[in-house]
Amino acid sequence: MPDRSPDRHAIGLRNVTKTFAGSALPAVGDLTLAVRPGEIVALVGPSGCGKTTTLKMINRLVEPTSGTIEVLGDDQRSMPAHELRRRIGYVIQQIGLFPHRTIRRNMGMVPELLGWDGDRIAARTDELVGLVGLDPDLLDRYPAELSGGQQQRVGVARALAADPPILLMDEPYSAVDPIVRERLQDELLALQAKVHKTIVLVTHDIDEAMRLADRVAILNVGGVLEQYDTPDGLLAAPASPFVASFLGRERGLRRLALRRVADVEVIEGPIVRPSRTVAEALDVADEHGTSWVAVVDERQLGGWIDRAELEALPGSTSVGGLATQRFVATVGATTPLREALDVIVTSRSRMAAVLDGERYLGMVTIDQVAGGLDA
Amino acid sequence: MDAVRDVWEFLTTGDNWRGARGIWTLTRAHLHISFVASALALVLAVPPAVWLAHHRKAPVLSVAIANIGRAIPSFAIIALVFPISIQLGLGLGFWPTCVALVALGIPPLFVNTYAGVAGASREAVEAARGIGMTEGQVLRKVELPTALPLIIAGFRISAVQIVATATLGALVGYRCLGTLILEGLAQPTAARDRLLTGALLVAALAMAVDFVIDRAEPRLVPWTKRVR
Repeated sequence: MPDRSPDRHAIGLRNVTKTFAGSALPAVGDLTLAVRPGEIVALVGPSGCGKTTTLKMINRLVEPTSGTIEVLGDDQRSMPAHELRRRIGYVIQQIGLFPHRTIRRNMGMVPELLGWDGDRIAARTDELVGLVGLDPDLLDRYPAELSGGQQQRVGVARALAADPPILLMDEPYSAVDPIVRERLQDELLALQAKVHKTIVLVTHDIDEAMRLADRVAILNVGGVLEQYDTPDGLLAAPASPFVASFLGRERGLRRLALRRVADVEVIEGPIVRPSRTVAEALDVADEHGTSWVAVVDERQLGGWIDRAELEALPGSTSVGGLATQRFVATVGATTPLREALDVIVTSRSRMAAVLDGERYLGMVTIDQVAGGLDA
Repeated sequence: MDAVRDVWEFLTTGDNWRGARGIWTLTRAHLHISFVASALALVLAVPPAVWLAHHRKAPVLSVAIANIGRAIPSFAIIALVFPISIQLGLGLGFWPTCVALVALGIPPLFVNTYAGVAGASREAVEAARGIGMTEGQVLRKVELPTALPLIIAGFRISAVQIVATATLGALVGYRCLGTLILEGLAQPTAARDRLLTGALLVAALAMAVDFVIDRAEPRLVPWTKRVR
């Protein structure tokens, strides 16, 4: 549920309507939406849902027809539009770098508008280069000399230059190819972990929204808010057939993609220490109903032995001396559950070993993965 | 080849260069009126074009009006301004010629400036507003600088046309390189040295101006990479 306490909002839209001149129907109709400090909110929906209009109303590139918008606790109309905008970073799809300025001077534009002195701007520029992962050699080039991905990083750096608490991003990644897009998305998440901005992001790509956002607002044509929830909340309980169809199929699997192995409890698994005997190993296999046992020594996963192989040996033989096969079905604690499920179903073992580097943490089974959806 | 020899002889005769009627004096006067006319054209064409283009006003009408300057013959303008100039006590040659040259210089500058400002990258302008520029800053820091390559191209056309056309000043008594041509007309047809030299020097001067602006351009707009 959206947070209703006004003091905790970084951005608060209340009953906001926008009807463009010459249009009978509103582009955004009576929208109420709050964004908490430090969260990433994605506005998604089909074309004509008013998502970009909503974003542009936050920094007053579009003025609402009615309703109020609070930014950092103040009515956004309490100051001149250009002053409001200098407190809000803005990134657009086509990036819009200034072609006549070097990268350095593009990044320094907002500090320049704020009247910072040259040394302070230079120091901040150096900091930004590191923050967005840009090659410092590019600083004295012009935008036309950079690739799309590099330009996008510069666009983000320019938006962050004066360290605004809020960042607005309008389809920031739709102009770059899918591989670069995924890398830039990862970079944004890594960046956000450092800078903790309040970010509102517009996208038509539901997967991008689910991947980046803490909460997703799904808008329908005419700027009608259909549902506003966490990605998991949306997938678990779509509020309407529109939301369900917009989210698409395989919602269960996609929920699994949002969780990690560390979120479910692991079991000890059918393991034996090398000092145990074959008879003891067979008991362990029986207990777990598996046709194999894994050998684990001091939390080190050695490999696995087939049950049939054990049955052919005398019960008093020590397991430690036996040849084992390499355990391939392994996952890490941070592996998404969807990927863990894939490992499990493609392995013969019906479970996967959870490793932290070399350290054996336990086994995760298909039941536990499925149980992850109940949590 | 007689013509070449005539011109060569004229140019290599030292006396032709010196004195109040010499080539140096005439060239200086030619450049002087061209410079004043170009500067006036710049001042009169660029600010209104920038303002109109920033506000997206009268895109067709303003360009059409500016183009009238191109349509009216410069000679006619000189003839029209001539009596007014005398009436106002501004003299014979300089101002009537200058007005005609300014009228000639305005259209390319106006049209290019308008196109340059109106054609500034929409994304850069949106980003400029989005990061908090005032309208004046959008104009000064984004639209005008990005229009500069086109403005320079317009200035180049203007300046070359002005230098070539300043020749007409000789007709109303402004002593410039056109004076050589006029004097040549008064000579017997066999003696072509003055006429040809005058024409050659005007052409050379116009090309020199073109060359200087061409060389200066990369320094003024370093972000445009030339394809040669």
